[in-house]
Amino acid sequence: MRVLVLAATLAALSAGAALAAGALEVVPEAPAGSTEVKIAKMKFATPEVRIKAGSAVTWTNTEALPHNVHFKPGGSVDKELEGPMLRSNQTFSVQFNTPGTYDYICTPHPFMKGKVVVE
Amino acid sequence: MMTHAYAPLRHAFRYGSSALSAAALAALMAAGPVAAAEPGSAAKQAADLAAGKADDPVVLKAPAPNARRVYVYDPKHFAAISQSFIIDGDTARVLGTADSGFMGNPIVASDGSFFGHANTVFSRIARGKRTDYVELLDSRTADPIADIELPNAPRFLVGTYPWMTALTPNNKTLLFYQFSPQPAVGVVDLAGKKFDRMIEVPDCYHIFPSSNDTFFMHCRDGSLLKVSIGADGKSQTKRTEIFHKENEYVINHPAYSPKNGRLVWPTYTGKIFQVDLSSQEAKFLPAIEAFTEAEKNDGWAPGGWQQVAYHRDSDRIFLLGDQRAASKHKAPSRFLFVIDAKSGKRLSKIELKHEIDSVGVSQDAKPQLYALSTGARTLFIFDPETGKEMSSVNQLGAGPQVITTSDM
Ligand SMILES: [Cu+2]
Repeated sequence: MRVLVLAATLAALSAGAALAAGALEVVPEAPAGSTEVKIAKMKFATPEVRIKAGSAVTWTNTEALPHNVHFKPGGSVDKELEGPMLRSNQTFSVQFNTPGTYDYICTPHPFMKGKVVVE
Repeated sequence: MMTHAYAPLRHAFRYGSSALSAAALAALMAAGPVAAAEPGSAAKQAADLAAGKADDPVVLKAPAPNARRVYVYDPKHFAAISQSFIIDGDTARVLGTADSGFMGNPIVASDGSFFGHANTVFSRIARGKRTDYVELLDSRTADPIADIELPNAPRFLVGTYPWMTALTPNNKTLLFYQFSPQPAVGVVDLAGKKFDRMIEVPDCYHIFPSSNDTFFMHCRDGSLLKVSIGADGKSQTKRTEIFHKENEYVINHPAYSPKNGRLVWPTYTGKIFQVDLSSQEAKFLPAIEAFTEAEKNDGWAPGGWQQVAYHRDSDRIFLLGDQRAASKHKAPSRFLFVIDAKSGKRLSKIELKHEIDSVGVSQDAKPQLYALSTGARTLFIFDPETGKEMSSVNQLGAGPQVITTSDM
């Protein structure tokens, strides 16, 4: 019963998200032409990337230590987006719909910093 | 009886008790010779009773703090509410207690005039709205003298590291560390009783104030960072040379003496780095090895929580050590190594005969050595000169870990 209710809620949520996508939109898989950012040795390998509005960035963790991508409100980020922890070889993709500069960190390693400049 | 007396105050000095009945007093009297009539003692109460003196309950004041006033902080194994015990080292008595929130950071003024905590509380005990604040308490009454809220819950919630929250030498500013979302140091104006600002810093940790507007931090790359707070709100930072290798792990509980600017920082293996910050620039002194190669091969290494203490006048280092397996650096130690900070020479090895987690030292001319056992919940007081245990204070909460004294 509870499972059924939850599934219905999820369907409603995803419908809403598709209708009103914000500046940052988590997308399920790396879309064609998305910009790659590798994570290795406690660093975002390309800490600054430039993309066109409407395109995506895909992060891939290449080491055993889990990392994530975390946008905190401030600057161009109007709503917090805390990505899931990525284990080795897992990926996370975000589509950027609005021009601006989007700073991010890794939640447990706040000294890991990166930015996406959307033109 | 003292530790069981009920005091209806949040923070309380309670070294008196009028809870004993006349019958109990009579029994106590009969049981042994009358000791010196201390205030609150059974003998004193019996004498008062015999003299027909009426019982007159009052809220007590602690004596003026001295160099042997010791604060023991009990984070209670990450409980939502923690507690500080206020102890007189001379008499080995609990003078009072002060309540604190989740993972508080105890502080004490360098002149002893106040103590307090950087605190975190929630509206529903351990959930709900979070409030971070700094509370200062009068050192004789434990009454609050300041309550300063910190905006946006910026405190770093971590097992208590004393140098994650620090006072400037004039006791007018409190600095605290923020870990997430980015490393920063919060500035709290204690004199003006208001939060001032956050200073963004690189990935550096701990706060060692060397003057009223300068502090140092230790960075992930192995350098120190000098931060000048700046009166105009514009802080400046400068990195020193890298002073230790990447595989030399310095512990989370270095000793720091703000009065002479000495930073004493051991590694997991007992190599001790010393930095002199008194000139407002970092002067790196020659490193010391606490253990010989033979001892290291026999498994000797530092271990515990507050593993090191430094006595300024005698320039001595006190280091907890024991034989331990690798990665057992947080396990307690049964020995204390007394080391001359200048020459690096070992002066003595004290067998503590207890499992000790934290060590502290009073800063007077003939210091007391404080050895705290988290497991036994007891503070043992030693004479570091003879290595003799002089007294102890037990029943210190659930998991006491941090010793704080002031260098008056
Ligand atoms: Cu990370």
